[in-house]
Amino acid sequence: MKRGFREDFATQWRVVGALLIREIYTRFGREGLGFGWILLEPLIFAIPVLLVWSVVRNPYEHGVALMPFLWSGYLPILLFRHVGGRMLLFVRVNAGLLYHRQVTIFDIFLARCLLEVVSNLCAVVASFVLFFSIGWLDLPRDLPMFYLGYFYMIWWSAAVGLIVGGLSERTEWAEKLWSPYSYLYIFFSGFMTLAAWLPDTIRGWALLQPSFQAYEIIRGGMLGSAVKTYGDPAYTSWVLAVLTVIGLLLMRDSRKYVVAE
Amino acid sequence: MIEAISVTKEYRTEGRIHRAVSNVSFSLGRGEKLALIGRNGAGKSTLIRMLGGVELPTSGRIERTMSVSWPLALQGGFQGSLTGNDNMRFIARIYNKPFDDIKAYVEDFAELGRYLSEPVKIYSIGMRARFAFALSLAIDFDCYLIDEIIAAGDQRFHRRSHEELFEKRADRSLILASHMGEMIKSYCTRAVLMHHGRGSFFDDIDLALQVYNDL
Repeated sequence: MKRGFREDFATQWRVVGALLIREIYTRFGREGLGFGWILLEPLIFAIPVLLVWSVVRNPYEHGVALMPFLWSGYLPILLFRHVGGRMLLFVRVNAGLLYHRQVTIFDIFLARCLLEVVSNLCAVVASFVLFFSIGWLDLPRDLPMFYLGYFYMIWWSAAVGLIVGGLSERTEWAEKLWSPYSYLYIFFSGFMTLAAWLPDTIRGWALLQPSFQAYEIIRGGMLGSAVKTYGDPAYTSWVLAVLTVIGLLLMRDSRKYVVAE
Repeated sequence: MIEAISVTKEYRTEGRIHRAVSNVSFSLGRGEKLALIGRNGAGKSTLIRMLGGVELPTSGRIERTMSVSWPLALQGGFQGSLTGNDNMRFIARIYNKPFDDIKAYVEDFAELGRYLSEPVKIYSIGMRARFAFALSLAIDFDCYLIDEIIAAGDQRFHRRSHEELFEKRADRSLILASHMGEMIKSYCTRAVLMHHGRGSFFDDIDLALQVYNDL
């Protein structure tokens, strides 16, 4: 049936909202902490890891304070891995929902992705408040720049989520390659290093990655003029836009690989 | 009206193409009750899933100019790990209906009592049938797609379903997939006989059943 754009938009938001609530119930249950896990889950992951790193690493490597460096690096890692991981075979495991025509695979993607992003942002705020109050972190030097970097991180994670989700419905390779990739990602994403510390020959290659770009911008915002950063928002936006289009095409296509229950 | 126009569905199994539904066309107006008759594997469920928009045809298309329910079947439509109440909440939200009205109707019609607070996956087939049918009646569609499940309910459920669809809502349409002759006769006036994925349309339900029995 034909409907207007406004009505379509309202329907879509209603569906995404309903999916979000359902996702929270199925993942966290309705008893015990329930919704509270949305915040606690990433914190339980992040805080011990950050503490261990801060003990084993030199507190002032390359003249940069370690804690701001680790904190601004590790939470985006969690975001990326969780968004990507939740998208594996996400159409298949939700095939029962596709019985209701107004639920599209894009709605399911949006709901899952939003939940991970909200959960991660809650953890960013909570861990910041915690570390700030004990004096381990200062406010980011350039807040808008920090936000911009984190925004690119979310966009990058969502774009990869679309691609991983779309590919996983058509080939088992996607699922098998995701685990080693998401692990190795820690080493080449830009979490461990600034572009300025790399030799000139490698720097150009490293900066081709959107994640490296986003890290540069986040670190520029976090550490201010204490470090030289190479983030290029124009390049990052272009690459992410292209990846998003590829991801959307793969996802649209994945509908026909799914056989309903 | 709901209309199937040269609908074909193919699946790839073990490297070969299997045609589950082959070039089926028919249309159904308001208030008409259509039976899909055929043996197991004849393509009835696949056709119903396409009519409901759960699966997309490989070629051909489905036109809907009235609201059509999701396919009420033994599977699909619910999240097994969630309770009946939570499934109702979800469905009320996506169809934009007030939850309290839906709940009141389902409680009365499905007679599931405390089971509504249990996960749907523990429901028996009969309970699931009552739940799915009650919920779709509560949402209120112009056309109901029913894949076998009415047969799973008991006598009382049959009587009440019949009453709902024929007395209170005589203007609603129904597409019922079944291979049970008696039930088909009591619910439907026309039929599509499915055989090896092909469909033939009958205006006379007795004739359709006779041809089916001679297959």
